[in-house]
Amino acid sequence: MSGKAKFIKTLLMTGLLVLLTACLAMAGGRGVTDKEITLGMVLVKTGPVAALGIPQGDGMIDYMNYINEKGGINGRQIKVIWEDDGFQAPKSVAAVKKLVARDNVLTIMTTGGTNQTIANMKNISRYKIANIPNAMALEFFEPLHPYIFALGALYEWQYQVIVDYINDDLKMKDKRIGVVYTKKEYGKKGLDAIKKRAAKYNIPVVAELVLPTGAVDASSQVLALQQAGANIVITCDVLPPIISFLKTAEKYNYWPQVFGFNWATDDLLVKACGPAAKNYIGAGFVGGWADDSPGIKLVREIAAKYDRKPKLTSLYIGGVGVSMLFAEAIKRAGKNLTPDTLKAALETLRDYDTGGIFPLVTYTTKSHAPAKKVKLYKADVEKKCLVPLTDWRSPKDM
Amino acid sequence: MAIRSKIFCETYHEDIKLLNTYWSKAWMGLFIIGLFILPFLGDTYMVYMVNLCCIATVAAVGLNLLTGFTGQISLGHAAFLAIGAYTGTILSEGLNMPFWVTVPAGGLVAAAAGILVGIPCLRLKGLYLAMATMSFGVMVEYVLITLKGVTGGERGMYMPEVDVFGMVLNTDESIYYFLLVITAIMIVAAKNIVRTRVGRAFVAVRDRDIAAEVMGVNLTLYKVMAFALSSFYAGVAGVMYAYVMGHIHPEHFTMLHSVEYLAMIIVGGLGSILGSIFGAIFIVVIPEFIKILAQTIEEAIPAMAGKYDDEWNIAAFGLLIMLFLIFEPGGLNSIWQRLKIGFKNWPFTY
Repeated sequence: MSGKAKFIKTLLMTGLLVLLTACLAMAGGRGVTDKEITLGMVLVKTGPVAALGIPQGDGMIDYMNYINEKGGINGRQIKVIWEDDGFQAPKSVAAVKKLVARDNVLTIMTTGGTNQTIANMKNISRYKIANIPNAMALEFFEPLHPYIFALGALYEWQYQVIVDYINDDLKMKDKRIGVVYTKKEYGKKGLDAIKKRAAKYNIPVVAELVLPTGAVDASSQVLALQQAGANIVITCDVLPPIISFLKTAEKYNYWPQVFGFNWATDDLLVKACGPAAKNYIGAGFVGGWADDSPGIKLVREIAAKYDRKPKLTSLYIGGVGVSMLFAEAIKRAGKNLTPDTLKAALETLRDYDTGGIFPLVTYTTKSHAPAKKVKLYKADVEKKCLVPLTDWRSPKDM
Repeated sequence: MAIRSKIFCETYHEDIKLLNTYWSKAWMGLFIIGLFILPFLGDTYMVYMVNLCCIATVAAVGLNLLTGFTGQISLGHAAFLAIGAYTGTILSEGLNMPFWVTVPAGGLVAAAAGILVGIPCLRLKGLYLAMATMSFGVMVEYVLITLKGVTGGERGMYMPEVDVFGMVLNTDESIYYFLLVITAIMIVAAKNIVRTRVGRAFVAVRDRDIAAEVMGVNLTLYKVMAFALSSFYAGVAGVMYAYVMGHIHPEHFTMLHSVEYLAMIIVGGLGSILGSIFGAIFIVVIPEFIKILAQTIEEAIPAMAGKYDDEWNIAAFGLLIMLFLIFEPGGLNSIWQRLKIGFKNWPFTY
């Protein structure tokens, strides 16, 4: 190596060392003063999927405001900075860097959806961002990622519970399943899980039909399902196409028992579909708005206090629940609050009861996996909401 | 004593020089020094934004070669970025290839795809060409999702960190210099392309293709060449993107992103390399400026506190682009040129 090249390399390495030292120094008292704790969150606020991020973000902020009004945590008030990522990975990465480098937040409670969180994996480790993603993916907790705390049953588990219910509880003769799915990750994973589980119970899957997420009419899918004689339809798609599907099925006087997963389990579906939703059963890992549990009562109280009327109630409930977990961890971390002590505090949650907002939450130093449990809800057309059909249940061991 | 008030070029060579005065050389030198000390002046977030500007600049320069200089509209530019990004990632992750293989390989594979698109599109113009290139983008997205074994499907792929001759660039600050060098090379190459025979042939094709052919410009060759060059730039930008993000996914390269690149060259100035740079920086950075401005207003005027909504940002951004198209169709480059001439002729107006 020439002398000049050696000099440039030394110069660059020195620069890197200085930066590294600065980063390490920053990691110490990040985002915490005697009177205030600054937290961040990255959630979509604008664009085509803004409707998914806004209720969750509102729920998260409202709970922290509620805590602040009660005196804060360990004498400190909580400040939350919400960065919009437009549901785009590059913007999400930018938002994370801004929150850490410029706003100096203690942690970022959520880094958004699956793609956004995956794109931020290295940053999450580098900046020690203990966070609960607003998505479910196996790679969030297997192998263990030290700073990602997964919440919510995986899509596969949800569909296994649905097929278990169809086999064990659904009173129906000659069960024939039709699957309506979208060619996205959750759609394909759902389809695979349903086919495998149904095969174990010898329930035939008579049709597999694609329903694009942007579909406004599902005539071809409904007619094909009718022709195949499907009396049970399991949907692997989000709320808007399922609303289109149910309305189209009503138009053709087709009334199978319809099932959906967590992104299509919300009171909005019943409100939007009316009588068309009468045979709908949805799986969810958050409590229902109409539940009588103490956690959900608190959610309703908080929403009323801050004058919120969330359209997607399940997401608002989830938002409150996520903030509740962080508030508990901050409380447990005590006065010496750093990214490391916060992570350690989250790892002390054992069967933590959110009062029915989530199933019992457990994180350890060896596992940040979510609970496998979901609840099934049935549409109540009269009350225009979802009512619980089962308690929390897990997929059966097979 | 004679006062030299203008630049007098006595040879063709002098006329096409990139930097033709001492002042322009001095300014360029200062600019380069400024670029090198930039990471020491700002935080990680700022450096990351500058990195995104570098990527957008290379992509926009490529699109401007095709759309601005040759007059061939493309709504599939993001697809070429995707091809480059995936090629680079597969070579780096799967075959452990170094950056000096992945970067040109990403460009070359994208260029090959560009030729494949360019040949059947020879007879197409305007909206028809836009539709054809858009369809190509949709097709690429479909292939990336379906070819799970190679591309990782909906899960995407992880790109290892750049290893520059034994130095792993794992911070935004260190990768910045790597991107800066590639961006500079690509810009200088583009400047050279447009000031020589190829560039003039591109402009002739854009201005009146039949007349160009009558003058001896081989339409087939130059149109396909424009597609290939533009795709090469996009491919290189794609590999740069993969290195910066560390993870790529089909949703990072949708039609919306192609429209964004088109917006960059329209706002910056069609048919101008400098315009592409201005446009890329504008589109990447302006939303941040609008946000800072809105927050400053919020702090300054108590009545405005809590009123800011991110939707405003999108509306303000859209309004800015509309105003540009109405009042400054020549783009940012046109404003810059006017400013330059104003300074050059000062105190005279012409």
